[in-house]
Amino acid sequence: MTNHSDDERPASVSRRRFLGATASTAAFPLVGVAAAGQAAAQTMPPPDPQAPVDVKLSINGEMYRVGLDVRTTLLDALRDHIGLTGSKKGCDHGQCGACTVLVDGRRTLACLTLAVAAQGREVTTVEGLARADGPLHPMQQAFVDHDAFQCGYCTPGQIMSAIGCVKEGHAGNDDAIREYMSGNLCRCAAYPNIVAAVRQAKLQMEG
Amino acid sequence: MADAVFSTLVEAPAPKSNMGEPVPRYDARAKVTGSALYASDVALPDVAYAFLVTSAIAKGRVRSFDLREARALPGVLDILTHGNIGDAIRPVKFFTEGGPASNSVLPLGSPEIAYGGQTIAVVLANSYEVARDAAHRVLVDYEIDRPSATFASPGAVDQELATQNKKHDDPKVGDFAGAYASSPVTVDVSYSTPAQHHNPIELFATQCSWTGAQLTVHEPSQNVYGIKNGLAAQLGIEPSQIRVVSPYVGGAFGSKGGLTQRTALVAVAARKLGRPVKLVPTREQGFTVATYRSETKHRVRLGASRDGRLQALSHDGFEVTSRPDPYAVAGTDASTRMYACPNIASSVTIVRADRSTPGFMRAPAETPYFFALESAMDELAVALAMDPVELRRVNDTMKDPIKGLPYTSRALIPCFDRAAEAFGWAKRDARPGSMRDADWLVGWGCATSAYPTQMAAASARVSLFPDGTARVETAGHEIGNGLYTVAAQVAAERLGLPVGRVTVLLGDTDLPPAPVAGGSISTASVCSVIAQACDAIRARLSDGTTPTGDLVAALKERGMGSVQEYAEWVPHGAPKGAMGMLYRGAAQPTGGAKLQDRIQFAFGAQFVEVRVHARTREIRVPRIVGAFASGRIMNTRTAHSQYMGGMIWGIGSALHEETEIDANAARYVNTNLADYLVPVNADVVDVEVIMVPEEDSQVNPLGIKGIGEIGIVGTSAAVANAVYHATGQRLRDLPLRIDTLVTGA
Repeated sequence: MTNHSDDERPASVSRRRFLGATASTAAFPLVGVAAAGQAAAQTMPPPDPQAPVDVKLSINGEMYRVGLDVRTTLLDALRDHIGLTGSKKGCDHGQCGACTVLVDGRRTLACLTLAVAAQGREVTTVEGLARADGPLHPMQQAFVDHDAFQCGYCTPGQIMSAIGCVKEGHAGNDDAIREYMSGNLCRCAAYPNIVAAVRQAKLQMEG
Repeated sequence: MADAVFSTLVEAPAPKSNMGEPVPRYDARAKVTGSALYASDVALPDVAYAFLVTSAIAKGRVRSFDLREARALPGVLDILTHGNIGDAIRPVKFFTEGGPASNSVLPLGSPEIAYGGQTIAVVLANSYEVARDAAHRVLVDYEIDRPSATFASPGAVDQELATQNKKHDDPKVGDFAGAYASSPVTVDVSYSTPAQHHNPIELFATQCSWTGAQLTVHEPSQNVYGIKNGLAAQLGIEPSQIRVVSPYVGGAFGSKGGLTQRTALVAVAARKLGRPVKLVPTREQGFTVATYRSETKHRVRLGASRDGRLQALSHDGFEVTSRPDPYAVAGTDASTRMYACPNIASSVTIVRADRSTPGFMRAPAETPYFFALESAMDELAVALAMDPVELRRVNDTMKDPIKGLPYTSRALIPCFDRAAEAFGWAKRDARPGSMRDADWLVGWGCATSAYPTQMAAASARVSLFPDGTARVETAGHEIGNGLYTVAAQVAAERLGLPVGRVTVLLGDTDLPPAPVAGGSISTASVCSVIAQACDAIRARLSDGTTPTGDLVAALKERGMGSVQEYAEWVPHGAPKGAMGMLYRGAAQPTGGAKLQDRIQFAFGAQFVEVRVHARTREIRVPRIVGAFASGRIMNTRTAHSQYMGGMIWGIGSALHEETEIDANAARYVNTNLADYLVPVNADVVDVEVIMVPEEDSQVNPLGIKGIGEIGIVGTSAAVANAVYHATGQRLRDLPLRIDTLVTGA
């Protein structure tokens, strides 16, 4: 399984500073997931969850200002605090790709990104691709045309990842599409249709 | 749904005889724009967050909790445990004993631990982050007993299924032992399949909200009426006090069909806090919050004459289940009925271990049992030096070999012929290892697919309006099966409307009941009742005369504001009181091999090419061809995706999927999506689906057989048979992996 965000997560000055100040592990969001308190408590006082951090996020061209527990992931900020539930939670561990969004144009796993680390960046979610009754983005339309989903749960992540895949230049042939879309699991297994959709949308996005 | 999209068709399979148009999905726009609301997407005001604490041991009891540190966290509202929940949740029976439960362990009912991952506490807090943090600060003092993990573990208990489930009867006919002993060619082989988890990408979320005495549950479900009625029994309230809402389900595959422990816990928590509660269990917790396919073992004995005709067939199955619940899939019901054979024996043994209760997972019975049967058939073909397709041909039958009842239709051999032709089977050199391509050993294998054609009672309400629109209301379930789409299609067809003029409402107990979306019954059951309601509308507008084509014109002519019909449909062979059971959330699928007068199955054939690397033994599946005949196909586009998805599940079952069990701790080891392997895009190359036209006027008036599960059946055997052809190594234990090829184990 390819975890596309591992090697493509943009280097972030604010994130590096955050990491340096808090913990030495690279899997920093997981510190909050597993044995949260105990590990952190030995090195620093736990943040007071009653004192939310003022976070400003630019999402789909709109500025949002929310008070968040500092441990809130970008995914939970989108879903539970901002009301953009198109991005899905499938594992919360960066293993399924359902939460994929674009951050400054690059595909990023929102469950492995702290909301505070997304400040000053432009976040694009599936809701940012088409107006409510407007035409679909070529990738969305291609997913419809090729029946590139069944249950639809992984679909927003697949579509955001597919847009990233095309923009990265990794959609040149079917083998490349398969490889660079392998970080997004589809349990309904619409994979051949997803490949066909990416192929179609690429022509339109680049034409 | 105003945002349904019906755009230009692209590359969808052209309908053949008895197949509907490849209309794009009704819910396509909602799903590609992120506007489809799944259970955890629903925003409830002032919601509190729940986080589960699950047992770290598989057997024993909680001696004590230390909740001080957890409770001290600012934002923590409450922590539910067996010590403080009281009698808020009443015991209900397991479903084979007439109850609604998929696991009869009472939620937080006692300090006893019946399985690893059992919920032992629920932390409630103002935020998800605090709930999670507090859950990790709950300290548990356990008294640990030694658990039994699986087959042959100390303390595991074997029982004949027939002694534990009165409805089970081992299929048998003739004199197996005598015929087997006198057969000139025999195989006697054993197989095993591992535990597997559905792992739908949507987590097992539940949100509960009380308004006075009324409870609303948002939970992804394959059976909203089942949840409604079962939960009412657990909470000691009337079913009319509960509404279950599930318009979209983010993958299910059987995992969302039953009443799990979490729903009542969230409902009780919401009542206690006086505010809505949201639970989104983690991926890891999902491995024990919901059910799974348990591991199986098989012994298959086949005896044949030298021309390949089966004289004796025996299939003995062994399945792991939990201590309290006698769950079994008993695939011998199907595996003994595939081929003409005068002497058949079978048995099913359940093995009780300290595990959570298994449950339905895509083709629950046929997936493991056909791996065994269809692998053994391939071994018999080798022993006979006979082409495996010819072996199926000489043993084809149009009647059930056990009871002698006729198949309503059976296109197994046409499926083999169509798939073999598309695959190029005629070019196969039967000698193992003979088709090498540079460093790759090429192997071709095939297997039979089949799935019982079942249905259940269903109800629906259809309304026609003077503006030329219609509305279909039924509590069926959209789990990716395309039910919104085919429901709109059948109504449009029957009412003479463009499909885009039909609105469909599903997945809500405020709608008329429909059965569980399981056993591939949804399309046949729900489309049948929708057609019946539409026909009633037509009858009402035709005054008994020959109906005219334009129902909307007739409606306007009469000056009616709308016409609405509610219909109930009961399939052939359904028990008395089937509609009442449907309303009580207990509709039982009927059909397959369970009928008194006939037998009804869908059939298919799958052909697989594998490439095994000569040095690394890496196994790839570059192409797979499946041909299926399943009666009427409502929509060739959505049907193609169902078949294809099933076949890829079959590849995963053959090569990837295995829930690993710690033999000492009786706990799952690989409870995440990086370690529990499922097929990814790069694992799947060329999948060809052939829909073989078939008409079956007996199964139901529309002639629909159901397609959601047959695609996975037999696939893993076809892969294993191809691996044998590539390498000469016969692997009898799934999954087939590099290590087993290298060691030959």
